[in-house]
Amino acid sequence: MKTTLIVGGIVLLLAIFFIAQYNRLIRLNVAVDEAFAQIEVQLKRRADLIPNLVETVKGYATHEQSTFDAVITARAKATTASTVADVSAADGMLTQALRGLLAVAEAYPDLKASANFMSLQEELSTTENKVAFSRQFYNDSVRLLNTAVKTIPTNFFAGFAKVDEREFYEVDEATNRNAPNVSF
Amino acid sequence: MATFSFREAQSSNKRKTFFLLGIMGALTWLVLISIFTYLGKSSAAIVPFAVGITLISVWGSYYGSDKLVLTMTGAKLIQESDNPKLFGLVQEITIASGLPMPKVAIVEDSAPNAFATGRNPEHALIAFTTGILDAMDRDQLQGVIAHEMAHVGNRDTLVSAVAATTAGVIALISDILMRMMWFGGGRRDRDSNGNPIMLVVSLVVLILAPIAAMMLKSAISRKRESLADATAVAFTRNPAGLRSALEVLAADSTVVRQKSTAVAHIWIESPLDSKAVSKMFASHPPIQERIATLRAMESLN
Repeated sequence: MKTTLIVGGIVLLLAIFFIAQYNRLIRLNVAVDEAFAQIEVQLKRRADLIPNLVETVKGYATHEQSTFDAVITARAKATTASTVADVSAADGMLTQALRGLLAVAEAYPDLKASANFMSLQEELSTTENKVAFSRQFYNDSVRLLNTAVKTIPTNFFAGFAKVDEREFYEVDEATNRNAPNVSF
Repeated sequence: MATFSFREAQSSNKRKTFFLLGIMGALTWLVLISIFTYLGKSSAAIVPFAVGITLISVWGSYYGSDKLVLTMTGAKLIQESDNPKLFGLVQEITIASGLPMPKVAIVEDSAPNAFATGRNPEHALIAFTTGILDAMDRDQLQGVIAHEMAHVGNRDTLVSAVAATTAGVIALISDILMRMMWFGGGRRDRDSNGNPIMLVVSLVVLILAPIAAMMLKSAISRKRESLADATAVAFTRNPAGLRSALEVLAADSTVVRQKSTAVAHIWIESPLDSKAVSKMFASHPPIQERIATLRAMESLN
């Protein structure tokens, strides 16, 4: 009787332990999915700002067609990408193109002073920061998951839970790790 | 001060909070032993009475903290359309921290300051004075918001409610004892431990305990401030923003008009005159020390 109780207790504790490890991995994996979805949301928001921004700049700077084209091409790429690597590549390209566009705007004082442009700029800088922070949050989530997948005891359950290491969101420029500071 | 990365600073401050809360628990236990020694077992009814009263007063204000603080500070809730720039900044930090979007409020006051409250991240409220919105640039405000959201994420309203409850129970027990000695002549039953040395020791404990509890409560508050600074850097990865925000606060001599001590601890910069309160009882670490710690984090980047 006593031994059955002891054995039963041990089995119960083990079951609780297994469930806890399994659930932890699943939770971390879902957190990575959510974090990636957040990056996509923010990139989409940035893409939505672009037509407006390009139109506003065009109103003042008519001779900068190549810059506009670069932004529009980069935007088209960014809106169709879906894998982590593609999204991050398109995102980097678009960031570069936008910098070019804002550099162009620097040369037109009337444009810089317009209320429309200033509110677009503010929206763009907050969106850039949101993109950067969602990348940072995604990478932190991936770091937690990958650590769990590689360390004892969670690593024993990774196969069973069908959870594997995930890809970090790399930004092509090393200096771009922090929020890109779009200063006006 | 040694150079700390924000991760080290976070875990060190968390450890110190647990340690201080542990001491607080030990102090409560010591007070209970003392009161039993001094008044005998029949006095045991005081304890649930004191705990009950304190729980009702502190936990009421903890549970309704977001609404209560609004009325106590005169802060007004705002919508996204009222200040899109501020909302954008707060949204940035919610993304960086993974916390839900808090309620945002404004206090009409020219002194630059800010605070966070709410019983949990889902009921969080962060407020800014009009002064801080005028005085700070984007990066500085981002640092301030990150500090406030760090309080939310670290559940500092809960931590300070626990500290206030314990300190309150100790103060109330000690107060009841003093009144009993005054009016009732002290010990009522003689079945308790008659050792005179023990009696004197417990009396001393009961007299000093409320002061010690206040000091512990302030020490916990200071550790939570340092922790919030470190967590803010974990959110923004930009110690310079918060550092220069604190420099603006340090250079500014105006203080928030209403000086209600009841809510003094929740502001980012203490609204009470720092010279009037000794360092042992201060709710915030010296601002220069906080600036120095952040500067040390900057040099690591």
